[in-house]
Amino acid sequence: MPQFSLYDEEFHPSPWQRTWASFKASHISMLGLIMLALFVVCAVFAPLITPYDAVEQNIDGLLIPPSWVTNGSISHLFGTDALGRDLFTRIIYGCRITLGSAFITVVLAMLVGVSLGTFAGMLRGVRSSIANHLLDALMAIPTLLIAIIIVAILGTGLVNSMWAITLALIPQFVHHTRSFVRAEMKKEYIVASKLDGASKWQLFVHSILPNMTEMLVVQSTLALSIAVIDISALGFLNLGAQSPLPELGVILADGLDVAYLAPWNVAVPGMAIFFMVLSINIVGDGLRSALRKRVSH
Amino acid sequence: MIQILVRYCTLFVLTLLVLAIISFSLAYLFPGDTLENLTGLVPENDIQRAALERQFKLDQSYIFQFFYYVGNLLTGDWGYSFTSGLPLREEVGIAMPATIELATYAMLMALFVGVPLGYYAGIRCYSTSDHLINSVSITTYSFPVFWFALLLILIFSLQLDAAPMSGRISLLYDIEPVTGFILIDILLSDIENKSLAFKDALSHIALPTFSIGAIATASMIRVTRRSVIDVKHRPYIAAALSRGLSSWQIFFRHILRNALLPILPLMAIQITTLITNAMIVETLFSWPGIGNWLIQAIYQRDYPALRIGMMAVSFVVITLTILIDLFNRMIDPSREKYERATV
Repeated sequence: MPQFSLYDEEFHPSPWQRTWASFKASHISMLGLIMLALFVVCAVFAPLITPYDAVEQNIDGLLIPPSWVTNGSISHLFGTDALGRDLFTRIIYGCRITLGSAFITVVLAMLVGVSLGTFAGMLRGVRSSIANHLLDALMAIPTLLIAIIIVAILGTGLVNSMWAITLALIPQFVHHTRSFVRAEMKKEYIVASKLDGASKWQLFVHSILPNMTEMLVVQSTLALSIAVIDISALGFLNLGAQSPLPELGVILADGLDVAYLAPWNVAVPGMAIFFMVLSINIVGDGLRSALRKRVSH
Repeated sequence: MIQILVRYCTLFVLTLLVLAIISFSLAYLFPGDTLENLTGLVPENDIQRAALERQFKLDQSYIFQFFYYVGNLLTGDWGYSFTSGLPLREEVGIAMPATIELATYAMLMALFVGVPLGYYAGIRCYSTSDHLINSVSITTYSFPVFWFALLLILIFSLQLDAAPMSGRISLLYDIEPVTGFILIDILLSDIENKSLAFKDALSHIALPTFSIGAIATASMIRVTRRSVIDVKHRPYIAAALSRGLSSWQIFFRHILRNALLPILPLMAIQITTLITNAMIVETLFSWPGIGNWLIQAIYQRDYPALRIGMMAVSFVVITLTILIDLFNRMIDPSREKYERATV
């Protein structure tokens, strides 16, 4: 006869498991996660999924309509553009470039922002006041303006637009890290560690950083959606990635030239950006409310 | 109070100084010859170069040059555009109000549509109508603004022919710019068919305003909703409930004003997004604003224009941000300096 053991049967979910459980409970969030996962899979395995090369031109098949139109062809799922390039291939590669560069941008901005923010949060007195106010004010400079200045200095290109967007995203991370660190420094467990003789670096690594990860994850989903929109906006304005490169904004701008003849060249890349941003936002929202639920219970 | 004012004034001056330093150093950072970047003239020989350098004070030290530059900025001598040859002050003076006008109407739309809807969703939180409002706002929020504007052009200008595609007003009307705000200028002017001109300007402004305003409204709804829900869970609401106040009384006496407090500082952040979106939308609708002007300037590599344009846009944005921050501090002195609302 099996023994009933109270302690073995009891299951203590870790904080992340509890977050995941309440995230899973929302169907919309799960749908967003699946959509985002689909985009990530497309981005990672782009060469395996796509039937053609992203820049391969085919003058025998210009502006073929998408496959669901009567005179479309199944060999080009989303049709072709004005140079006969397969739109499906370009969109998949576009997801790879846009999402990938947005991801790199966010990681870079987070690294710099968190270190600056921690620094500003631990400062005291006049120095902290000056640093904080200046950072707050510089946060107000619009992304597009920073991008224009960087393009003027370094020239156009995907990498340069990534620098611009990194610069524009950093202040957000700085701001949130700073207020978080400030709030945390007043709490008792930090005081306890201080009394144990922990240095500022030890305080940050062992006490503050573990508590900060959740805030950082939520912030980075927000930043990721902004980065995707900004990278494609710069590509669209011809200030970021340049034409043969399949970046979603660039594909949209290319399609604009033939918008009357072939409206799918504008519709499909726009939809791709929209759904990518939507899925990121839904996941971010779901994550936020899951965390909030966990904290409030 | 005075201390706060002094603090904000120093902050303002310091920030402007940093901006001026950045803007000053741009002339040296731009690719090519500094003299050519500044003047747009290619000196033919060494004598001419030396003369030009003396005229633009390039032979002096950097610090002297910087103060010369700041002096020029303050006196209104902002240099000349490469492409049009016009004084930049005039060009910015025309382009800037156009952008501010667009952004103002979009902001008003966000305030008058977004805030009430956010209140409604927050009061009825986790009901069907709340979910509906929330999902619509998150969808709208996810639209890339340039694609949204294109869709609006496609539907309303090309298919329905309901609104014009580009420009500020039909060429038939000649409006004297007084304030730079086209709608106000029409009201101030003394042309014959004022109402027709007004209608025409409205139809021009509708689509660009809507495309920026919809996105601003969506984020305003989300912020307001979150703030109302947060306030609803405060102890003083429970106290009011236990005192036997009706839900309407609680809403008007306790929720309405308290929920507005965290929204205000968020408006300061909104301005940045709003101006960025306005700048992108301007290029699509050929709206003669500062965004369109700056993007034309970067296509032409018009360096003096970029330098001044950067200074002008960030000046406006930072002034507004600091004013809102200051206002926020004044109406709520108890709040922590760095506290801001979340979504």
